[in-house]
Amino acid sequence: MSTTIEIRNLNQYYGRKQALRDINLTIETGMFGLLGRNGAGKTTLMKVIATLLPRSEGEVSVCGRSTLRPQEVRKIVGYLPQDFSMYPNMTVYEAMDYLGVLSGLSRAKRRQRIPRLLQRVNLQDDKRKKVKALSGGMKRRLGIAQAILHNPKVLIVDEPTAGLDPEERVRFRNLLCEIAEERIVILSTHIVGDIEATCEDIAVLDEGSVIYQGTVTDLIAMTEGKVYTAEISKRELEALKKDYIVTSMLTLGNNVMARFLAEERPFASAKLCEAGVEDAYMYLMHAERGELGC
Amino acid sequence: MLGQLFAKECKQTAKSLIYWLIVLILIFGFTTQLGNNMEIAKEPKPGRASYGYQASHDPEIIMSHTLGKLTEEYFRGNYTTYPIGFYKNVTLDKEDDHRIGEILKEAAGITGKEEAGRVMEDWYTAQTELKEAESGGTEAEDMGPNDVNAGDMMYREPLKIEPAAGLTYERFAELMDEADKILGGGSEYGKDDREMNAEVPKTYEDAKKEYNTLIEKDGLTGGYARLFCDYMGIFLGILPVFLAVTRGMRDRRAVMQELIYTRRCPSLTVVASRYLAMIVMLVLPVLALSVFPLAKCMNYARTAGITVDMLAFVKYTFGWLMPMIMIAAALGMFLTELTDTAAAVLVQGAWWFVAIFGGVQTLRGGMYGWNLVPRHNTEFNWQGYHDGFAQLALNRTLYAAAALLLTLLTAYIYSQKRKGRLQIRGKILANRKSKS
Ligand SMILES: Nc1ncnc2c1ncn2[C@@H]1O[C@H](COP(=O)(O)OP(=O)(O)O)[C@@H](O)[C@H]1O
Ligand SMILES: [Mg+2]
Repeated sequence: MSTTIEIRNLNQYYGRKQALRDINLTIETGMFGLLGRNGAGKTTLMKVIATLLPRSEGEVSVCGRSTLRPQEVRKIVGYLPQDFSMYPNMTVYEAMDYLGVLSGLSRAKRRQRIPRLLQRVNLQDDKRKKVKALSGGMKRRLGIAQAILHNPKVLIVDEPTAGLDPEERVRFRNLLCEIAEERIVILSTHIVGDIEATCEDIAVLDEGSVIYQGTVTDLIAMTEGKVYTAEISKRELEALKKDYIVTSMLTLGNNVMARFLAEERPFASAKLCEAGVEDAYMYLMHAERGELGC
Repeated sequence: MLGQLFAKECKQTAKSLIYWLIVLILIFGFTTQLGNNMEIAKEPKPGRASYGYQASHDPEIIMSHTLGKLTEEYFRGNYTTYPIGFYKNVTLDKEDDHRIGEILKEAAGITGKEEAGRVMEDWYTAQTELKEAESGGTEAEDMGPNDVNAGDMMYREPLKIEPAAGLTYERFAELMDEADKILGGGSEYGKDDREMNAEVPKTYEDAKKEYNTLIEKDGLTGGYARLFCDYMGIFLGILPVFLAVTRGMRDRRAVMQELIYTRRCPSLTVVASRYLAMIVMLVLPVLALSVFPLAKCMNYARTAGITVDMLAFVKYTFGWLMPMIMIAAALGMFLTELTDTAAAVLVQGAWWFVAIFGGVQTLRGGMYGWNLVPRHNTEFNWQGYHDGFAQLALNRTLYAAAALLLTLLTAYIYSQKRKGRLQIRGKILANRKSKS
């Protein structure tokens, strides 16, 4: 039986607006990162896979099951939306139990799995807390626990790190990596750092199209030899910004240490340096739009 | 899955504020409309001064009784009306009060409050004398609930005023229609009501027959179960819609829709479990309340040595009230799922209003038609019930069937929405977004 998600020639429309353009993707077991700025179409793509949207054109199959038969796909998919909550007056345990029934778990199964999952997301001491009393981070963790309640083959999480503090974010990524050992986890984000830390395979979406698909290493390799740093004055920085893509800068007294992208060494004082995901992402985004300075 | 979900839904309902508000209204409605003033009919004994009254069709009697009531209310300056079947106390402004005075003058030759007061005074004195003459003869407990002013046994005879010389019945009808209009409708003077005003004494035989029918045909409880349904129906024709609408909106308000949509549970199971929970949780308090009139009936039956139908209240609750709960809840669920708004409250509210308003003419029972809230505002009139039963059964079956159909449609809409289709609200919001 197939263990991959296959997306073929997917086009998706909201009325006349096209949100996804001719998407072709194969997603295998492990962490898969979906990167793109706000409005790129990440949520739309995830909703199509989770059967929350009817696909307009093309084919999507999840472990061999077509999304045309949603009831089959729902059995093996766990979904955590970008915005979600639960009945505010239920306790953490009650909410899990309710969703467990909807997932078709028997009473015995629920009694066995829910405490284990709450332990896994470190909510074991909060199971009697009301949902409305949870912090943002706790709610996210509860969200993950509910999404893997029925032990799905595929877990889809939409921008789960948005709104978390740095420590929570790191812990959350690690949790997802653990979960991904046994299944497909699709993670969307507009934060490059999330992808760098967790994903091997990624796809970059821009305005509904996939502009990159492959490993993080290959993405970085594309930019190798094109990242420079230079210490320049603040006035020179303005000129530099006009011609090149500046990916970061650091103020040093009156001068600025700028990091920028260039096809070849632009001036003598510029030093070649090792590329990072951030540089690669910026390179990609601007290359796609034909805005790259030369 | 259905059973466990159903249990969880019931538990959720039992924890919701709206549910307890509904239960409170039901209790309030029960105690004010029925609980305090429900007296069990006693067996009439021969040789009594009165066996209560029944409507007369004699124009002379109708006119004198109606004018008596008008004189009394005009003198007191306030009027009792039932504009949509509920009690209302009306007081008039100067102009309207003056016009009623003119009507009374033309119809009965009584000029102004003073003369009306004198007429009242004379009548009151006569009543007191009558009462003293009788004293020792008739004990208070010999009065049945059918007697006029049973709770207020001062008056042996209602106030009667002879119409003015030469007043035709047609002119009388015109004048009374006008008075009814001034009072906002539902007064003693509208066509149907004034024809009921003319009460003539029942004979012992009439009363005995009515009582025997109640005991023999209805097993006592049958008559009271209908009365119970008549009152509770007024509330159950509207209240379930509130429960359905709040349940329908709860998922969206809790931002929980997508968590539920993506689970394997079939849409029909989700919808059916919610629907069943609503019905059961609404029927329970009704059954609980029915214990009170049942206990009263049983108490009476024990002293009177008759056997009663113990299950009458249960049977009537399921046959008469449950279809009403079913349709109001189903319509609420359907429209909420379809529109994601509380529109169902308006729709059901309008339907309920029409039903209650239309039902005022059929309070005596037997004329059930297709009314959502069939009326039968008496423990008697078994014959009317018997004659109207086929229509009532059709009526109730229609609404129960429509309710089931709406539930299936709701499940269909739900299944489409969780696939991202039929998102009426989503479309509206998207349009708004793209404009801004
Ligand atoms: N319900 C909708 N109706 C119309 N347009 C939508 C709807 N949802 C999203 N869009 C549009 O589709 C595009 C992709 O949105 P989305 O998938 O939410 O992007 P992302 O998740 O990457 O931020 C955006 O331009 C957005 O405005
Ligand atoms: Mg999104």
